[in-house]
Amino acid sequence: MVDAIKIQNNRMKKSSHIYLKNLTKEYQEGEKTRKVLDQLNLNVAEGEMIVLLGRSGSGKSTLLNLVSGIDKPDAGEIKIGDTNLGELNEKDRTLFRRKNIGFIFQSFNLISTLTAKENVLLPLKLKGDTDEEAGQKADTFLKEVGLGDRGDSYPDRLSGGEQQRVAIARALAHAPMLILADEPTGNLDYETGATILDMLNKLVRENNRTIILATHDRDICKIADRVLEIRGGTLSPVEDLSEMTGS
Amino acid sequence: MNKNTNLLWLSSLRFLLRHPWHFALSILGVALGVAVVVSIDISNNSAKTAFSLSTEAVTGKATHQIKGAAEDLDDDIYTDVRIKAGIRKSAPVVEGYARVEGVNRMFQVLGVDPIAEAPFRDYASQEAGIELSEFISGKNTGMITETVAQELSTEIGDSLDISVGGRSFNIQLVGVIETKDDRSEKALQSLLVVDVNTAQRLFDMKGELSRIDLILPENSDDKIQQLQSVLPDGVDVIRSDSRTETVAQMTRAFEFNLQALSLLALLVGMFLIYNTMTFSVVQRRPIIGRMRALGVTKNEILFVILKEALLIGILGTLIGIAAGIVLAQGLVKLVTQSINDLYFVLSVQELTIDAPALIKGILLGLGATLLASFWPAREASQAEVTTVLKRSSSESKITSRIYKLAGFGLAGGLTGFGILYIPGGGIAAGYTSLLFMIIGFSLIIPLMMVGLAKLFRPVFGTFNGLIGKMSVQGVITELSRTSVAIASLVVAVAATVGVGVMVDSFRTTVVSWLEAQLEADIYVQPPSSVSRFADATLVPELSTLLKGTEGIAESHTVRSIDVRTNLGDDNLVAINQGATARNTYQLKEGSEDFWQRYSSEDILMVSEVYAYRNAVGLGDSIFVQTDEGRRGFEIRAINFDYASDIGTITMSRQVYNQYFDDEAISGLALYVEDDVVVDEMVEQLRAKSAGIQDIFIRSNKGLREASIEIFDRTFTVTVVLRILAIIVAFIGVLSALMALQLERSRELAVLRANGMTPGQLWNYVINQTGVMGIMAGIFSVPLGLLMAYVLVYVINLRSFGWTLQFMISAEVLIQAVFLAVVAALLAGLYPSWKMAKANPADALRNE
Repeated sequence: MVDAIKIQNNRMKKSSHIYLKNLTKEYQEGEKTRKVLDQLNLNVAEGEMIVLLGRSGSGKSTLLNLVSGIDKPDAGEIKIGDTNLGELNEKDRTLFRRKNIGFIFQSFNLISTLTAKENVLLPLKLKGDTDEEAGQKADTFLKEVGLGDRGDSYPDRLSGGEQQRVAIARALAHAPMLILADEPTGNLDYETGATILDMLNKLVRENNRTIILATHDRDICKIADRVLEIRGGTLSPVEDLSEMTGS
Repeated sequence: MNKNTNLLWLSSLRFLLRHPWHFALSILGVALGVAVVVSIDISNNSAKTAFSLSTEAVTGKATHQIKGAAEDLDDDIYTDVRIKAGIRKSAPVVEGYARVEGVNRMFQVLGVDPIAEAPFRDYASQEAGIELSEFISGKNTGMITETVAQELSTEIGDSLDISVGGRSFNIQLVGVIETKDDRSEKALQSLLVVDVNTAQRLFDMKGELSRIDLILPENSDDKIQQLQSVLPDGVDVIRSDSRTETVAQMTRAFEFNLQALSLLALLVGMFLIYNTMTFSVVQRRPIIGRMRALGVTKNEILFVILKEALLIGILGTLIGIAAGIVLAQGLVKLVTQSINDLYFVLSVQELTIDAPALIKGILLGLGATLLASFWPAREASQAEVTTVLKRSSSESKITSRIYKLAGFGLAGGLTGFGILYIPGGGIAAGYTSLLFMIIGFSLIIPLMMVGLAKLFRPVFGTFNGLIGKMSVQGVITELSRTSVAIASLVVAVAATVGVGVMVDSFRTTVVSWLEAQLEADIYVQPPSSVSRFADATLVPELSTLLKGTEGIAESHTVRSIDVRTNLGDDNLVAINQGATARNTYQLKEGSEDFWQRYSSEDILMVSEVYAYRNAVGLGDSIFVQTDEGRRGFEIRAINFDYASDIGTITMSRQVYNQYFDDEAISGLALYVEDDVVVDEMVEQLRAKSAGIQDIFIRSNKGLREASIEIFDRTFTVTVVLRILAIIVAFIGVLSALMALQLERSRELAVLRANGMTPGQLWNYVINQTGVMGIMAGIFSVPLGLLMAYVLVYVINLRSFGWTLQFMISAEVLIQAVFLAVVAALLAGLYPSWKMAKANPADALRNE
């Protein structure tokens, strides 16, 4: 199965795109069933930066969880490149995720028992890089995010902005096809948030990565190739960005 | 471990090192469990090795033995064996026990003929350099090993003061036993070799032998038949290893129960490991969630947590083995003391640390740790990534599961009960049932906690306001952790209740039995080599003298000997009490007219233990080797008897005299006239016996106290194991509750930030650990009683066959609740202190 995924990955490099069709997800809340995603459809081209807008609880995080294979839809199809996630079992979805997805969370979610550099090394090592390769890549990305000298620091010694920079380095270092960012500036002050966003935009563009960025911060829309809003379980494009950002 | 997962391992290792208290206490939990098991095994093995070495030394190369019906054999038979039967490889032996002054242990006295010894025992033969003229000089002479001689600071030519059944003798040391190696040195270190005639004088066996040793070729059935034809009735040729088998049977249940109790300590340890690992996993749920999101598979999480458990297991096991060896130094003395009190004379001079005991310790330590860790590890690895990032999900999960868990618990408990009814289920089935009940009960604990919290909330609210209510609620809102901590504490404390109630039940039964059994005013008995047996005899003239003392109204005698029956080697007691014995002996089963008939008919009474061990009952016959040959006696009564776990056959002295050529008396029970003060009579009798024989003359009360003292001594090992279980429990509670509180530092910091004073924080934390302690104390009582019930009515019965009264003492129950509460309160001290001292800002910092 791992080999199959490798082959799929190679194919994806050539024609990377994300294809979501009729995606439906429901949650049981006590006696009631709440439909979070309702026959949602989406196509993302390789290297595209998608910003996903929506209120709290609108289903942004659910959508990211489904795209990453962390969660399974109740109905619908998720294809990333040639890989149909619905056909993979839990273990293969995990292996797929470790090689092809980079995650950036609102609350950073660094591993508290690993240093900044080790946090960046983790996905590289999981992917199978040698110590030397992984070390070099981790150093490069830490430098890129301006933390070349903080590699040995544990997360609890870093500020929120620094932690999120480590998280960006971690998400990009193993060259994933797709980066999923869930409210990456949500826990940061305005200035730090803006810096982080610039850095993320720069690195994603430089490395030609596809990114889906979920936020309720409409300012982020400025850097997007396409802005979509999730409402009532479906996506709709936001055409007038100036209206959204107020600029 | 896969190279890719080194970082995961590094992360795990750092997590452990960041929680040093927790890490250390979990290692200690494993270490204590392993230490108890290893120490018991080493003690048992040391006792076994010492026994087999001494048996080997005394039996030598003999393949068979000729033994008499009772404990003696006419020495003319030896002549017949050598001359009529023509068996040259034969040697006479007179043996017994003596206390050697200067060393605090019993010595086996082996009376031999050095001329006949060469084929049997190298060290006792003429070839070994024994100077015959000195050894067979007509005086009391003997030999001990050089090491013992040094221990006693004696040299050849010096005298040894020894005491045999209360009579004192001097033995002149005429040589030292040459030992070839360390093994024979160990085997011979409690042996006093004397000439046959000397031994006959020491044991008052003039013209008698204990046995004749033989070396017969293999397949010598014809030879044995021929030999049997020259032997008188009641004298038999038996295999020389039969005693080893008998002894192994005797101590099997004793050893098994010690092992089982030690495993109970390990089981408590396992709960603690389970608890520790669950905490460790619950604490790391966010980290695990993050790793899973990054693509770490379930199996990688499972293996890394199991690897962590393995590390704890390895460290705990290594420390446990070392501690077990140290602990065994003390335990072996207690085990040896119990064996000496209950079964046979044994002297263990050093520990036998053998590989199987250590391997068992390693396997149990690692196995128990991995087994206990598997479930938490699996839980962690199986959790959904979407929910594992937030703790509330696990809380809601367990809350929704409490009825299901209770259902499983009930099913487990009922399975436990079901196992008790498996036909032919032995002691192991009893312990398996206990295990099911313990696990079953633990699964019901979350539900009981929720129920009890409803009762506690208003009570604590009344006494301690909002903090009181919050404390109780906090226990329930964190049910996934608190229930595991409380379950561990309950099991640990319940184990101490179970063993405590069992010992109390035993003791109460023995005390009330002694009250009924000891009817006479004064008891006279020579000191015996084994406390529970009367294997020494009273000097005949002394018996007459004491019975004839003015003020003595009535007397009974007791004779106790070892006989061979169709069921093995058994203890036979002959009493001359007549029909009044009905007041002394409490019959469990038996016909009304037994006491009228027992003095005149070939009937006897067996103790309930004997009936159980040998699966015999009323109406069955026991065939006893007597001096008149093999005779059948019908069992017509079964009596309660807690003096021996091997069992006793009792018959009338009148019947005994018909079949045994034996006038000896092992003990005397005296009744004083109405106007005589018992204590004064005791003094008078002691004065009369002085210089004749050193004997125990005790009042009814004195003997009862002495008997209870022996009882308590034989239970010392159990009490020590119970204390160890308490220590394991205590450490477990400390570990679990402390981890729980330390882990809540962020929540406590929020409370501090919101204006809670350090004093209020103390109050809150101590209240909460107190609530948990009280809950655990309360739950441990029913589980403890359930365990005690199984121990008393199933395991004791299947091990020994005793009927015991179930005795629940308030002391044991109060002790349990007290233990749980104190441990819980102590566990709250450090976190309260730490949190009260800490700056809330530090705890509130983001990671």
